[in-house]
Amino acid sequence: MNQFIIALIAGVGTGSLYAMLGTGLVVAFRGSGVINLGHGAVAGYSAYVFNELRTSGDLFLPWFDIIPEWGVLQTLRISNIPTRIHVFDFEMYIGKPPLLPTFLISIGVSVLLGLMMHLLVFRPLRNAPVLGKVIGSVGVLLYLDSVIAVNFGGQNRSSSGFWIFRPDLEPVSNFLGLGGTIPRANFYMLLVAVLMGAFVFILYRYTRFGVSTRAADENEKGASLLGYSPQLIAGINWVFSSVLAGIAGIVFLHKTQPSLYATFVVGALGAALFGKLTSIPMTVLGGLIIGAMSSGGVSLATQDWWPGWLESEGVRTFMPLLVIILVLYFQGDKLPIRGTLSAGKQPAAPASRNVTVGVIAAMGFALILSNVFVSKWEAVLTTSILATLFMFSLIVIVGYLGQISLAQYSIAGFAAFMMIRFIGDGTLQRPDDYYVITGLGMPTILSFVCAVIAGTLLGLLIGLPALRIRGVQLAVVTISSVLAIEELLTKSRSLMGTGAASIQPTPSNPSWFGQYIGGFNKETFRTDYWKYSLFLIIITALVGAGVVNLRRGNTGRRFLAIRANERAAAAAGINVKNAKMLGFGISSAIASIAGVMLAYKIPAVQAENFAIFSGLGLLAFVYLGGITTGYGAVVGGMLVAGGMMPEFLGVHFGDVERGMINAVGAVGLIVNAIVTGGEGVALLQSNGLGKIPLRLLRRNPDEDEDSEANEEETVTEGASI
Amino acid sequence: MSNILETKGLTVTFGGLNACDKVDLIVPEGKFVGLIGPNGAGKTTFIDAITGYVPTSAGTAVFNGKDIGELKPHERAQHGLVRTFQSLELFEDLSVLDNLLVAGYQTRWYSFILDMLYMPRKDDAIEERIQWALKIMGLEDVAESMPSDLSHGRRKLVGVARALAAGPKLILLDEPAAGLDTAESQILGGHLREFLDHDMSVFLIDHDMGLVLSVCDYIYVLDFGKIIAEGTPQEIRESATVKKAYLGEEAGEIQAQAGQRMTSLQQDHAEIEDD
Ligand SMILES: Nc1ncnc2c1ncn2[C@@H]1O[C@H](COP(=O)(O)OP(=O)(O)OP(=O)(O)O)[C@@H](O)[C@H]1O
Ligand SMILES: [Mg+2]
Repeated sequence: MNQFIIALIAGVGTGSLYAMLGTGLVVAFRGSGVINLGHGAVAGYSAYVFNELRTSGDLFLPWFDIIPEWGVLQTLRISNIPTRIHVFDFEMYIGKPPLLPTFLISIGVSVLLGLMMHLLVFRPLRNAPVLGKVIGSVGVLLYLDSVIAVNFGGQNRSSSGFWIFRPDLEPVSNFLGLGGTIPRANFYMLLVAVLMGAFVFILYRYTRFGVSTRAADENEKGASLLGYSPQLIAGINWVFSSVLAGIAGIVFLHKTQPSLYATFVVGALGAALFGKLTSIPMTVLGGLIIGAMSSGGVSLATQDWWPGWLESEGVRTFMPLLVIILVLYFQGDKLPIRGTLSAGKQPAAPASRNVTVGVIAAMGFALILSNVFVSKWEAVLTTSILATLFMFSLIVIVGYLGQISLAQYSIAGFAAFMMIRFIGDGTLQRPDDYYVITGLGMPTILSFVCAVIAGTLLGLLIGLPALRIRGVQLAVVTISSVLAIEELLTKSRSLMGTGAASIQPTPSNPSWFGQYIGGFNKETFRTDYWKYSLFLIIITALVGAGVVNLRRGNTGRRFLAIRANERAAAAAGINVKNAKMLGFGISSAIASIAGVMLAYKIPAVQAENFAIFSGLGLLAFVYLGGITTGYGAVVGGMLVAGGMMPEFLGVHFGDVERGMINAVGAVGLIVNAIVTGGEGVALLQSNGLGKIPLRLLRRNPDEDEDSEANEEETVTEGASI
Repeated sequence: MSNILETKGLTVTFGGLNACDKVDLIVPEGKFVGLIGPNGAGKTTFIDAITGYVPTSAGTAVFNGKDIGELKPHERAQHGLVRTFQSLELFEDLSVLDNLLVAGYQTRWYSFILDMLYMPRKDDAIEERIQWALKIMGLEDVAESMPSDLSHGRRKLVGVARALAAGPKLILLDEPAAGLDTAESQILGGHLREFLDHDMSVFLIDHDMGLVLSVCDYIYVLDFGKIIAEGTPQEIRESATVKKAYLGEEAGEIQAQAGQRMTSLQQDHAEIEDD
């Protein structure tokens, strides 16, 4: 018992990080109405900057050099964007650079990030529909994570923060007479979290700036009356929020690796929701509670009576999700989330006409390529096609139905692991495999079908919250469930077999109708099986045709009706709940097919294949291609990291880093949300490129006021019905 | 003759305020019933209550011989109780025709499979009804347009057409004429009674007294959530209570006269069509 209580108390260490990040989330939300999914990544970037300054003395600005050193560009000497600045000379400072300047410079980078987010992302998106804003924050998350990978390599760092947070301080033993030990730093972190919360609380309660932010939060006009421009207030709050994130990141440097910060946003979201996105004290408390729950849960999971299939890491990641679900379920309608009534303009989703021609042309083209290409290029081509296949699932759920599910790629991963489990028969697949997978020993086709069914069921489970909540709240739930799915299901050894936690060998001899359809040749150790490509192309073409036809028929029309207006959809006799479940089901089935097809291609899968950022990257590129049409998936598939377009460019410009591609994708994502409202490349060509400058021109201030007025109109109308 | 809709003591409460207070109302089958009342009287709330958009705190609503109190909004719509919205609420991303198709066709659990295989179900009766709805609302030329490209008035007509496309047994129109220009009002006013020839009853809310008095068979008057008067258009026009509570003596006179003009206009219209 005492041990459990000690675990609960020790949890306030991580809990204070959640509290600090949650406080920043609330600040940004109150200033701008945006829930920033990239908030943890902001903390991560600042922490890396701090660490890098302390170790090498270099300052990395939050971007990287994309201009290739090549040809004319080099002659003109514009082959360089300044990224790396040498700040501290180690010969001057024997040992490490001084703490305070380092700290201030790092916070300066946080300020820069805040300004960038405000000016380049959320200010331009202020009148965008909910989807656009969520996509904007997904873009921030993906961008920062990718830039971290490029600039800092994402590798582990030896800690170099303030000494009071060092883990090797003498721990507090026998705290409150409970026995056991608690790291001393946890108490200091708690102190910082509480001080930060108190500071923000006082600032918002008693200063003129705070009062006008609160006024703006309740009503944009209110702030204008007090003499502040809402956008100025939003900007200041963005900067403030980033600074808070930067402080949190630096304080926490000793506790964890900065590369993990981005995903800590899940706990922060839980904390912020616990505070109903408004109350700072409750947010801090929520963060501490989540920290305590996680640590307590892990402590319980080590007990004898605990069911072994619930692994401790899964329990830990599940706790923030649990809090999020509970808050949204019981308090969802009381959250002050703006813009739930006025959805804003959604990206157009025209029905395609020449589906047969399109499908046959695409298939033929892909087939020709797959025969022309050898080994490496066949792998590249199938990467693109797999991405396209997966993207069809996002087109159904996000494009047609308007439900922002960020967990679809986890479903793909889950299905892939399930397929392996279903097919596994306890024999060694390849001589060099580490693990033997036991399972039901199903034939290939049956295991495929069962895996798709399992994935679909999981998708329906994830879709359940969508029956009650929508928009950004659904995005929050689904992004939070990604980690929980990975730790609880995909990596679970008792569920998926021995290799699940590390590397899971795929079946070496999958065959459909007597034909070997695996992508990995056991003899040559290469991806050169043309049958796999053929099989993949056929499956993708069938799924693609199905998805495009869906839009041409009644089901797709009903999905779009729900996306546009759920009230009116019900009045037209649509069972909105069933339709949403159907959408989640179809989308998850497609995602599952994509996951299984990926498992056929490679000799072994890892949970990391389906990690959160891979999924977000895929969303970024299908959004860039066009989230509402089949072409969008095809274009998006060409663009993904490891796909046709980057590899092709790589041949000409030298190797392109994966992180860079995702970062470019993230930028494209944001730009696309701003410029085309998310219609993407695919619709641009049919709309005529000429319209873009027009749209840009139309973004003048008068227009904005117009649409704001419209928004208010809808809101009042909505209220009076 | 039976009643398509019958409410008894229907009450809706918003935080202590009775927006509908013990409303007893009957719509006989095949009839055209109107509901009038000043702003905030609770007219929209009444429609919301019988279509399941707000919970009722007391009373019953029987539709087509069935107590619908427990049904969800979409189930009521599927039973043939179809409404329009005062605030438009069109499907903005769908063309006008698609808006109607959504309401026109109901789906079964396997419909999505047929759709994915592009084997859409065509039903002549439904297609015909949709074409009729487009025609009667004068929307044939804009069937492929997006609602956002239309004038406010025509968007309202799309809302009515969408309700018609659903093949209602009772159509509930919430101020369909508000915001229409003269030509659009005439399209609507001239065709409203035709709805009755297509197996449906009509329940109309509108502020345009002329319109209401001229098309309705029977009229209810609502004020502060209570029915304060009911009767034929003639009776309503002459009712002192109505004049006092709702119209205001003089304004009522003028509007009632407008109503008479409208009636004669309609008769003219009908005569022309007879020719
Ligand atoms: N959701 C709600 N919550 C609280 N009060 C409401 C709500 N909806 C309506 N009301 C109130 O109920 C009363 C009746 O409103 P309702 O919209 O039904 O009036 P109405 O007769 O349709 O008016 P109008 O002619 O302006 O459309 C009004 O006082 C309104 O403010
Ligand atoms: Mg009304």
